[in-house]
Amino acid sequence: MQKVSKVFTKILLWTFLIGTSLFVLYPLVYVVSAAFSPKQSIAQLSIVPFGDGFTLDRFKFLFNQTDYANWFKNTFIIAVSTTVLTVLVCALSAYVFSRFHFMLKKSMMMALLILQIFPSFVGMVAIYVILLRIDGLDTLWGLILVYLAGNIPYNCWMVKSYLDTIPKALDEAARIDGANHFRIFWTIILPIAKPIITFLAITSFTAPWMDFIFPKMVLRSSKMQTVALGLFSFVSDKKNYFTSFAAGSLIIAVPFIIFFVITQKMLITSLGGAAVKE
Amino acid sequence: MTTLNADGSSKSKVLLTSILFMGLSHILYFKQYLKGALFALVEVLTLVLIPTFATKVYDMITLGEVDVTVPVMMRDNSIYMLIDGIMILAVIAILVSVYVISVRGALAEYSAFCARNGELNLKGSSLRSAVGKSFPIFGLAPAVLLIIFFVIVPLVFSAAVAFTNYSAPSHIPPSASVDWVGFENFKAMFGGESTWTGALGRVAIWTLIWGTLATLTCYAGGLIMAVVLNESKIKIKPVFRSIFILPYAVPAVVSMLVWKNLLNGSFGIVNRTLMELGLINNAIPWLSDVWLCRFVCVLVNLWAGFSYFMLLVMGNMTAISPDIYEAASIDGASKFYMFRKITLPLVLYQTTPLIIMSFTHNINNFGAIYFLTGGLPKVADSTITSAGGTDILVTWIYNLTVTLMKYNYASVLAIVIFVVMAPFAIWSFRRTKSYKEGEV
Repeated sequence: MQKVSKVFTKILLWTFLIGTSLFVLYPLVYVVSAAFSPKQSIAQLSIVPFGDGFTLDRFKFLFNQTDYANWFKNTFIIAVSTTVLTVLVCALSAYVFSRFHFMLKKSMMMALLILQIFPSFVGMVAIYVILLRIDGLDTLWGLILVYLAGNIPYNCWMVKSYLDTIPKALDEAARIDGANHFRIFWTIILPIAKPIITFLAITSFTAPWMDFIFPKMVLRSSKMQTVALGLFSFVSDKKNYFTSFAAGSLIIAVPFIIFFVITQKMLITSLGGAAVKE
Repeated sequence: MTTLNADGSSKSKVLLTSILFMGLSHILYFKQYLKGALFALVEVLTLVLIPTFATKVYDMITLGEVDVTVPVMMRDNSIYMLIDGIMILAVIAILVSVYVISVRGALAEYSAFCARNGELNLKGSSLRSAVGKSFPIFGLAPAVLLIIFFVIVPLVFSAAVAFTNYSAPSHIPPSASVDWVGFENFKAMFGGESTWTGALGRVAIWTLIWGTLATLTCYAGGLIMAVVLNESKIKIKPVFRSIFILPYAVPAVVSMLVWKNLLNGSFGIVNRTLMELGLINNAIPWLSDVWLCRFVCVLVNLWAGFSYFMLLVMGNMTAISPDIYEAASIDGASKFYMFRKITLPLVLYQTTPLIIMSFTHNINNFGAIYFLTGGLPKVADSTITSAGGTDILVTWIYNLTVTLMKYNYASVLAIVIFVVMAPFAIWSFRRTKSYKEGEV
């Protein structure tokens, strides 16, 4: 009797896991098959994955007839610069918030918290005009500034909470040895805060790949667009280049997927850690 | 004149000089020439700029007049005036803070002076020490400036727009001017114009339902997957874990647009497959029936969002000390009992704040709605209000801004979102460790 119920549980478990996996993989399988399909729109696609044959035409189309390479380069530049600047600015301010007592500190911390609840694009008209005034429209640095500023409130809190857990005796010892604040920040605090810095870097690197509203507002010309904008244009109402869209998505999604799958252990611990520290 | 009593009796003298002119007391009494000169420079700059400040603030109050005889480029642009005015107010706020800092700094310097029995701290006036002492200022300056000009000014601007008539067709600069209208827009949205009030009620209720369902389904889904994977003794566990991480790794734009195409009523793969299999005879209107479409939104969001919670719960499970389990197993507790009495309560306790965070995230989850349905299908009032059946407040704000150019109503909605969200933010703030320990 016990054995029967054990087998039954096992069957149930496997059915559940395989069923969920199919649900998870379902759209992804079609993306992969569409990316290598010779057809153009989704209406022409066979309902059997890879049922239309296999070709690299979609990828050739992307690189020869669209600005895909450019979009990719732009997004990469934006993501890298945003990441580097976000890490520097947020870590530095978090260090100040965590280690110093100064006027207006309390109200500044409160302001950071209140600011993070607004959806950032609420102020998009004003951001547009401000960028227009400083000649930042249709430039990558304009967009980087917008992302950087938007990243600060939440991440500042996050890093500060982490730094609070690092014993202050460490930097006091360094101060006695004559190190100045910046040196302490750079050579002692930053290396210890590596886990949270890595987490911050990953989230600020991946965010620009998916954002749509700000690139659409700031980057006007086709040459300056980002991957998300370009991909969206393939499947917007006027066009239906689903297979080219799939090919383009594959190019950005695959590196991310590989990265996340490889780092899943680290991801799990840092997410768990972030939750405990919040 | 330039000497101070060390018994604290010269406090009012220091206060008066420092208020009279920024940096004066630093130079006169404390021989801190560099610091004093910098403060004085700020004061001089402020005095020079006062006329500009006054005009800009005046312009912000009047928002200009449009003279139709003047070429478009030369006309008063109310929106520029409003944004400039707000920026100037921000600059004034910064200057006032510098002023307060200089006065308080002088007073602090004086009490240190008294404590040293009237010895001047000349070592403290060196450049190196000045830089060291003002490290917080240099450290925070980039963050503060960026936040002021790219976050606060835009937000204040959009809040201000809620009190103007900035909207198409008749109040779009530079061809026409914008004027302050007080609470007119709020009146119109909350009862004045029945079409808009109806749409607001409908969208607000759907936003809340969406936020709740999206959060709960993803949380439950993630929890179940994490628990099943953790407790089961399957050898290829890592394979399943990798599969379940995939949705988290795919950019939202991509996954939502793929689902949108797969679920398309006429040519989508889902319907065509179901028809081929003979399960249905007519196409299912996944994205064109209002209620079905809302259901699809929640379901697709579950697809995209459960991985995140799965990772979180797994992370929390690894953080639970193995000692507890050891103790429990010595006491003879069964695996299931330990799970129910130890793992689950601890995980739930740790992740509760994240449920709130995820709820606020979903209320503002632009991508999940915009890329999947674009707010469609249309309902009765969609033509006038541009709010579709699955539009949530943020996507409606986007439509109002980009398509209808009803900036005034969009701003009212932004304020509504703020009022709804603020309690959650404050609640989660009060739960943080640094708040509880009285650090902030």
